[in-house]
Amino acid sequence: MAVSSYIDAFSVYLRTGDVSRMNDFCINVEDLKRMSVYRNGFYKGCIDALAANFPMCEKSIGSDNFKNIARLYVDHYPPEKGTLVGYGLNFPDFVEDFIAELEKQPEELKLSSTLVDLALLDYAWLLSLMSADATQALTAEKVTWLMNEGCDFTQSVVQLNASVGLLRVSVGTLDEWIGLKTNSNEVAQQEISISESALSDKSSFSDLVMFWRVHGSVQVRALSAPEWAVMHALHGKGGVLEEAFDAALMLDPNFDVSDFFSACIQNEILETDMARSES
Amino acid sequence: MKVNEQTPLQRSVCADANLGAGLGLKAEHLDDILALQCEKNALAGSQLWFEVHTENYFVAGGPRLAYLRAVRENFDLSFHGVGGSLGYDHQSMPEHIKQVKALINEFQPALVSEHAVWSRAGGAYFADLMPLPRTEDALRSLIEGVDRYQAGIGRRILIENPSNYLDFISEMDEPQFLVEAAQRSGCGLLIDINNLYISSKNTGIDARHYLSMIPADLVGEIHIAGHDPDPELGQALLIDSHASEVDMSVWALLEHALSIFGHKPVLVERDANIPPFAELMRERQTAQVYLDQLKTNVLSVDACVKGGR
Repeated sequence: MAVSSYIDAFSVYLRTGDVSRMNDFCINVEDLKRMSVYRNGFYKGCIDALAANFPMCEKSIGSDNFKNIARLYVDHYPPEKGTLVGYGLNFPDFVEDFIAELEKQPEELKLSSTLVDLALLDYAWLLSLMSADATQALTAEKVTWLMNEGCDFTQSVVQLNASVGLLRVSVGTLDEWIGLKTNSNEVAQQEISISESALSDKSSFSDLVMFWRVHGSVQVRALSAPEWAVMHALHGKGGVLEEAFDAALMLDPNFDVSDFFSACIQNEILETDMARSES
Repeated sequence: MKVNEQTPLQRSVCADANLGAGLGLKAEHLDDILALQCEKNALAGSQLWFEVHTENYFVAGGPRLAYLRAVRENFDLSFHGVGGSLGYDHQSMPEHIKQVKALINEFQPALVSEHAVWSRAGGAYFADLMPLPRTEDALRSLIEGVDRYQAGIGRRILIENPSNYLDFISEMDEPQFLVEAAQRSGCGLLIDINNLYISSKNTGIDARHYLSMIPADLVGEIHIAGHDPDPELGQALLIDSHASEVDMSVWALLEHALSIFGHKPVLVERDANIPPFAELMRERQTAQVYLDQLKTNVLSVDACVKGGR
């Protein structure tokens, strides 16, 4: 018997629940109903992982509703890697499509469109938690050292550290997410700190949000438009610090560059290659 | 040429006589474990160690790895893989193994293990431990998976017997299948006594006969855990839940296994309904007593032999 035939039949059962092709491989056909242990284990593992990775989504709509959506997600996007860590990359998009489908069916359950943003915030928090540790943080000591060496650190190429995540969500969703998070018993265990200055810019159509991790603890903060301009300029491959600040000052000539830079240094958000800075 | 002939493997995996009874590392217990480290003198000689599911640490950084580093400072670790799919679909193994190897390089675990099962096919990962048919073709596939895994991480591994809920068509029994896999790939075996007990109740095999078929020198680790009856079928179908305390029948089977295999590291697993750390430590202590008794028995036999000379 070719192992591939057995596994093809087993896989069809796991994906569809159709056990008929397993008849050829089971000694006692009456025992086939026991195959459900494996299928239940597969779905439970995936749904539990999604619940762990999207905790505020689950809290927002309740465990039963979440499980129903999560089960459909598993059908559409089964895990591909041999781990459930980080499972759910496509979950926010899936939720968006799911809500759109519900809209077409007037008698069905209605879900708020903010659920998509809650999913985005959950996943951004997770990515920040799991991201690589900072190795070249630009600290106050390094800035002082660069100045003493006669280097103009504002001309340094600076990057955001790997834990920094930037995203836009609908106005008010960040407040909703923080509200869900801070009422959660899980918060203390996960040691999340919500910055008190996380004030949404109510004048715009979206909240500009930044996640980052400092000393093992994930932080979140709403950014003003000039702050977003700085972070956006330094995101990815990085940029020259002065150019990033110029982008902010273009939006708001009164933007306090010094204050914002100090906050970034204190939170170890910026990274720079000292060897490149020296040269 | 077999893959594992290309790289000389470290052969230390079955030789960890220093490990006593261990516990699965749970995030809920990290503070308790870190506090234990402060009382390290009180733990001297206890041979306590911790096992983790390797894939839970497939992260680039952050507190999860930091906690593991803190535990590693004072305790031996065992890396127990659950997503390697050694039995089938080895195409995506290189990336998986690369991450396992990086963790092994950093944490230098005393033991590395995986399962004699499949969990990946057609591009999907099924996130559970699916049984292989015990056929020659499946055996070849498993051996290829073990070879690739061992060559990739540069170490010998142990493979664990599965929990069986029903019988599939097979060409050999499970001890024969596992021993063949071990002897042909050079890996060792991790005997999960709870899985064996469950399989014996669910499929009618003789657990003690099963154990008698396993060469002791292949066994590098033993697992024990709790199981629960299926909600619908009750005792007719036992589920490997890891959600309750170790059953008395499993303790009895452990004692029998140790009498055959001798001293082996024993792990108490618990993955759901996690109790307070002290409660798990009590179960772990019971397992340590079984191991200590074994040592006492060996000493008594030694004394008798020397006295008789």
